[in-house]
Parts: sequence; structure tokens; C-alpha cells
Amino acid sequence: MRTRVDATRILFRIAFRNLLASRAKTAIMGGIIGLGSLLVVFGTAVVDSLDAGMARSIQGSLTAHLQLYRKDSPDSLQVFGGMTGASRLEPMESYEAVKKVVAAVPNVKAVVPMGIDRAFVSSGNVMDLALEKLRADAREVFPQGSGKRTTPATTPEARQRYDARKAHVRRMIAILREELGQARVLVDIPPAERAERAAQWADLERADTSAFWSSFDRDPWVALEFLENRVAPLQTENGFLFIRYLGTDLEAFRKAFDRMEVVEGTAVPPGRRGILLGKFYAEEFLKLKHARRLDKIKEARARGRRIATDEELKRWVAENASQTRDILLQLDPTQAESATAKLDAFLGVPERDLAKLLPLFFRTDDASFDARERFFYAELAPMLQLYTFRVGDVITIKAPARSGYMNAVNVKIYGVVAFKGLEDSSLASVFTLMDLQSFRDLYGWVTPDKAAEIAEIKRSAGLTELGREDAEAALFGAQGSTATPAAGRPTPIPDVPVTRERRGRDSDLFSRVYSQEEIDRGVVMNVAVALQDPRRLRETQAAIQKAVDDAGLGLTVIDWKQAAGTLGQTMTGLQVALYTSAFILFVIALVIMNNAMVMAMLQRVKEIGTMRAIGAQRRFVLLVSLVESIAVGVVFGLAGAGAAAGLVWLVRAMGGIRSDNAQLQFLFSGPTLMPRFAGSGLAIALGIVILVSVVSGIYPAILATRITPLEAMQSEE
Amino acid sequence: MSAIVSVRNVTKDYMLGKTVVHALREVSLEVEGGDFLSIAGPSGSGKTTLLNLVGCVDTATGGVVEVDGRDTSTLSERALTDLRLRRIGFIFQSFNLVSVLTVAQNVEFPLLLQGGLTAKERAQRVAALLAAVGIEGYAKHRPSELSGGQRQRVAVARALVTRPALVLADEPTANLDSKTGESVIDLMKEMNRKDGTTFIFSTHDPKVMAHASAIVRIEDGRIVARERTAAA
Repeated sequence: MRTRVDATRILFRIAFRNLLASRAKTAIMGGIIGLGSLLVVFGTAVVDSLDAGMARSIQGSLTAHLQLYRKDSPDSLQVFGGMTGASRLEPMESYEAVKKVVAAVPNVKAVVPMGIDRAFVSSGNVMDLALEKLRADAREVFPQGSGKRTTPATTPEARQRYDARKAHVRRMIAILREELGQARVLVDIPPAERAERAAQWADLERADTSAFWSSFDRDPWVALEFLENRVAPLQTENGFLFIRYLGTDLEAFRKAFDRMEVVEGTAVPPGRRGILLGKFYAEEFLKLKHARRLDKIKEARARGRRIATDEELKRWVAENASQTRDILLQLDPTQAESATAKLDAFLGVPERDLAKLLPLFFRTDDASFDARERFFYAELAPMLQLYTFRVGDVITIKAPARSGYMNAVNVKIYGVVAFKGLEDSSLASVFTLMDLQSFRDLYGWVTPDKAAEIAEIKRSAGLTELGREDAEAALFGAQGSTATPAAGRPTPIPDVPVTRERRGRDSDLFSRVYSQEEIDRGVVMNVAVALQDPRRLRETQAAIQKAVDDAGLGLTVIDWKQAAGTLGQTMTGLQVALYTSAFILFVIALVIMNNAMVMAMLQRVKEIGTMRAIGAQRRFVLLVSLVESIAVGVVFGLAGAGAAAGLVWLVRAMGGIRSDNAQLQFLFSGPTLMPRFAGSGLAIALGIVILVSVVSGIYPAILATRITPLEAMQSEE
Repeated sequence: MSAIVSVRNVTKDYMLGKTVVHALREVSLEVEGGDFLSIAGPSGSGKTTLLNLVGCVDTATGGVVEVDGRDTSTLSERALTDLRLRRIGFIFQSFNLVSVLTVAQNVEFPLLLQGGLTAKERAQRVAALLAAVGIEGYAKHRPSELSGGQRQRVAVARALVTRPALVLADEPTANLDSKTGESVIDLMKEMNRKDGTTFIFSTHDPKVMAHASAIVRIEDGRIVARERTAAA
């Protein structure tokens, strides 16, 4: 036995000495093997943590572990939306039945009903908004309606507010006239539209005359109607905003998705109708563009970017300086005067025109930015409406229903919601969470309750004589059945946002508390399932599939990765890319090692022949050769893995891989990715490395055994 | 003494391109234990072929080769390798040391392949042989650090370390100057005399031949003469 050990020792000694004797060759083989090993280990660490991060993001935000939807749906479910927008799914008419079956499956922690879609929100025409406020103020100054003519309870304050508001509207009209006047010079109007355009221009000019305003109070209602119908529509920038929403049982959602947090306002009280705006959506789409850009510049500067050198920051500064109209329109004359005085003092310039002061103010450089950003929020922001809607507002959401008609619901904004670590994510925190009842109204599924409600409204509508305001409410209000046909165009009819008057109508809907039974009874599009033990995902997926099949529900169960759609594929793509490049590298390593070993073998034919002549068996020669290639593989493979571990450590020590990119942050499950040195990566890498070296060593080793002792006898000449 | 090598009616043909080369034709030879035999003949006469057959590194086309009483044509490749390991020592024209091992490791190598001895026993035997061939001071050197004569002395030590019955040497002096060559032959002779190990070596150098106890002359694959020398 002792000798066997010694023989093995000499075998290794020969193998290692051979490797040392040809250092260049060994270094090349080892370099490639080491690189491959480094790539596999570091790549696996990154991809694993990406995978884990994405799993956390997806599971914790919207998807949970499993999703169910109807088998006969035209699209497959993609929670975050695919290339073509939201997936078209067939509805599950009774969530109650699904909940009962799924909740009974072992390992199911929570079942959450969902309906995901896009809708429109009227963001309000600034002119419309101003006129609406003017109308409200006028009503206080000139009480009317409701039949009872009481003596005017006008206070001097109300009168003052009303006059300020009038001045504001007049100022807006002046701005509008100036803009349209410029457009008239620039744009060639087609003959067919000339008459209409001329009439519009005449109306606008009339609204901008002192005569019009001095006679305004004689019949404010006629004047207001004229402004509303003839002038406000000329203000073309009355957008509607897209909104992506997820209708759900908000209580069940909150319990199942622990990364969700209400960052502003409150959660929707249990059983109530209401929505929680997505944080990212609120910041990106609802916030005043100037404020948003200032935020972004501030954040970028905190990360070390500078206005002087960064093209994007320069562009934001330029946009802020040139597009000051939004701010000008928002300020009434009193506010404008105050803003002018403040800006004058701050900037120290003798300029009295706000339209010129604002660009001066917003044209910041790195030195002045911080002070101006503080000034903006401290002095200007309080006079401005920073967000299109805010917590507490009631907004009208419209969507094309299944029938093709537009459905609309009025919902109250209770709060702003974000997902921990994904606050800036355009994927998770863009979603607005909505109660299921409102979702069902939007979706256009008529529940028995709803049918009764509609009947009630119809009856009362038939009996009551409707005032102008009520008629409008009846036409564009909460009930879906009487909505305007959309005729395939996604453009909604511009709508006046809900006002205090209408809230009375909605208040019974808003204060109504729905029971769990009512929430569960009715249509949903897909169902999320959270598991107690996510490691048993496959098993539970199969169990749920079997349970719903047995119940004849016609549903299909998919895992979170599949439900994440293109996102999940991104991950698979990354993994494929990593392993493909590693594979190619190892194939190259294999070819080169094989080649080098064969060359080495040919150089040593005489030596090997000598060993054979002296009495070395073929097996000995085979082993020497194999030990050489495996030693290269293991030593350099380990070195590569060690280097990868060092790299992982270094990346972690430097605070992980940072990303400003929202998509990447979603993959990272936060602003930084912390790669973890995974044992699995090491095992895989070493396994592959040993396999590659054995495979590349086999052929030269077999060649070596074919060398006969006769080779030793050949003379050198 | 009985024959350690017995070659009877052996022929060896091999193909060189499309022509058949008759390297040995009906050769018969008996070698007694303790002989110090020289095989002489010009290049291409069949000396090396005959040594290869006797050394079990090649097989005959016809006839019988017996080494140490065993018919080599009946043995497997493994058994032949084992026979070489245990009964035969080799000395090569160009020394053929394992370049990555030290002098001592080269000499020890066959013992390790053979097994059966402790490290201490091996070390003692290696040291004794290195002393016997006169290179005890170079045990830790690499072959590349030695002169040709020193290397061949290492090779002699390696050939003898397993205490074989037979040592074969194909042109052992061809790569050495005549003085060094003679000293190597003297060393071999001394070993032959001391331990009674049989040596068969090929050469075409008359001065080297003169040291042999007997000379077998080969021409065109046939033994043309067998003569005893004055040295015998």
C-alpha cells in the first residue's frame, strides 16, 4: 500500500512538473478555464440575486406566487402588461366559487381577486377649472336656483374672491388670445375651416374686451355659459391622463402583499369604495412638470451628476425655463403679483413681468440650483397646485366597457401607495389600486345590486324635473348604462371634473360599506395566490390546478414568472445569455486544452515510450495525462471561482451595483443589487470545469496510451 | 548455466511503404546467464530489431523468443510490460531520462512502478547504485544539468535498480565521445562481474566490442558469426 501511495505521488509529481515545465501553455489553458469559471461563478451570483430580487419584486408587488385566469381567454395573463398593453382576459363571473376552492388547497396563504386594466382620467382643462371655481364663487355672490330666492348673504370677502377669480380668468383669456394670435400668423387655415375659425377668433376677442367684463355681472350666468361653451374649448390642452389600475379586494391585497405601504393619506376603509394612487404615477404624471423636473435634477445632483456636464440635466433646466405657461395660468393676479415681488427680491433684478421672471428663475446652474429649488418649494409651491389630483379628491375614471361604451366611475382618492424598495419603479408603483366595486362598474358587468340601482335612478329620473346641473350629472355621472358611445375611439368626451355639487349624489355610494360577501360575489379577471411556503410552489400549483379542474371552473394556474410576462422572459433571457457565453467559453477552453495536451503529448512521445519500456503500464500513462488536465482545470477553476468571490465581495463592499433605471431597480428589487456568492454557482462552475478538463484530457490521454515502448528506442537523429 | 534468452528461428518483417523489409531472417541465438554479449553489425543489419524482440518491446513475425524461460508470444501486453519491469533493464542510446525528475527520482522510478519496497529501502538502494556508478553527488540534479556520460551512468543505475536478470543496451556509447563511452562500458562490465547480471549491447564500434565476452555479428538480418573474445 505504501508503495502505491508513493507511486501515485510520483505520478502527480510527473504531471505537475510537466505542467511547470511548459508554463506558457499551462497559463493559456488555465487563463481560459479561470475566465470561464469566473464568468460562471460571478454571473451566477449576479443572475441568482437578480432572479431573487425580481422574484421579490414581482411576488411582493402585484403577482404573488401563483395566478389564475380563465383558460379560454384570448390572451395569456401578463400582470405588468405585455407588448400590446393589458392582456385581454375572459371574466370569472363568480369569484366566490374560485376563492372557496383555492383557499381550501394546502399551503395557500391568501387569495386575492384582481382586475387589471387601463382607463382615462380627465385631468381637467385649466380654463374649465377656473370657470368652475368662478361659477362657484358667483353662486355665493348671486344666489339662485333651488326656487328659494334669499337675500344675498354676500360678504366682502366673497366679493373680493369673486373679483380676483374674474381677473384670473380674464388673464387666462389674454394669454390664450396671445398664443392663438401667434398661431393664426403661423398656420395656414384650410378654406373649409375659415368661417368657423373666424367665429372662434371673434368670440375670443370679445371675451378679451373691457366691455365684456364690465357687463359681466349684469348676467353672470349667460357670460359664464358663453365662456364655457365658446372660449374654454379653444384651450386645447385639456388632456385626459391614462391610468393603470388594479381592481382588488383592498383588504385582502394589503394582507397578501406586505411590501405595499400607504405613503400618504390612509388606506381605503374596509368595504368602502376608493382608490390609492400609485406613487410613481403620482410623481411622474400628476405632479406639476416644473416641480417634477426640479426633483429629478436634485436627485441626479445628489448622485454626482452636474448640470454643467450632463446633457439630460441641461435639457430639464431648459424645459423648465421655456415652458412656464403652466405656472402663469395657475396664478391669479393677486398671486402673480406676490410671486413677482418675491422673485424680484430673490433674484435681485428690476424686472416686473412675471413671464420674463420665471424663465430667469428656472435657468439655474450648479451653483444656484439648491437655493432656487428651496425657494421654489418654500415660496412658489404654496400658490400652485402641485398635483393634478390630491388625496381627498374625487376623480372620474372612464374606460371603454365590454359593450364598447364608455363607463365612468367617480372614486375618492384615499391615499398614495408604493411598494417598498420599488418606490421609483415604473412597473410596480405605477399601478393605482382600486376597490372591486368600482372596478366592476368600470368593467361594465351588471351585478344584481347594480341593476337595482339603475332601476332606482331611472325611476327617480322619470319623476324629477332635472335642472341643468342635474342633467349633466345624469348624463356623465356614475352609472355605466347611460354613458356616451365611444365608437372605437379611445378619446373620451371632455368632462368637467366632479364638483362639490355632485358629491351629494355620490356620497351615498362613497359612504356605503360593502360586506365581504358583496365583495366576493361578482366578476374578477384574475386571482393571485400567495403561498405559505414558496418552496413548494410547483406542488401547490399542481394541487390548485387539480382542485379548479375538479370543480370545473375552467381556469389555468400559472406561476409568478409566467404571470410577469415579458419581465419573466427577460430573466430567462439573461440566464440563457450567461450560460450560452459560458458554454462558448468552455467549448473554446476545451478545444484549446485538447490541442495543447495533444501537442504536449507529441513532444513527450519518447519520454512516454521510455516509461512504457521501463515497465509503466498503459494505465499509468493515462493517469499522468489525465491528472495534468484535471489539475489545470481544478487549480485554475478554483482560482477563477476565488476571483469571482473576490469580485462579489468587492462589489458588495462598494455598496452593490447601483441603478438609476426604474426597470433595473425592479429587477434589483431596490436601487442597488447586492450579488450574493452562491454555493450553487461554485458547485456548477467546478462541475463544468472538471467535466471540461476531463473531456479535453481524454483524447490526448488515449493517444498517450497508444505510444509504444518502441518509441523509446528510436535514436534522436 | 541455463539460457536466459533463447531465440529460435525468428523472423521479423515489417512494411516500409509498400515494400516488405526482412529485418531478421531465421535467427537463432542462445544467451547464457552472466554473459556480456555484444551484437555487432552495420546500420540496418537488424541489431536493434533483435534487441527489441529480446526486450519484449516488439513481437516477432515468426519463431520463438524466450526470455527468462517464458515464451513472449504467449504473453499479454500487460504481462510483457510486467516482465520488462521485473526482469529486464534498459539502457538507451540517447539516455532517455525523465527530464522533469531528479537523478535520484529517475533511478527510483522503476522501483515505484514495481512496488514492494519501503521508502527507506528504496532510498538505500538508489544511494548505493548512485555511488556504484560514481554520481552520488548529483542525486538532486536534473538530467539537463549533467553531461552525456553522467546521464548514461544514471541510465545504467536505473536499469540495474530492480536487480534485473538481463540488461539490454542499444548503442549505449553512440552519443558519447570514445573515452566516456569506454568508461560507461567499463561500468557495465563491472556490474556484470559483480552481480552476474547478463548484458546484451549492440554497437558498431570495434573498441567497444572488444570489452565483450562474446560477439554476435549480424548482416542483412542473419547471424553470420559468433565469436569469443580475448576479454572472455
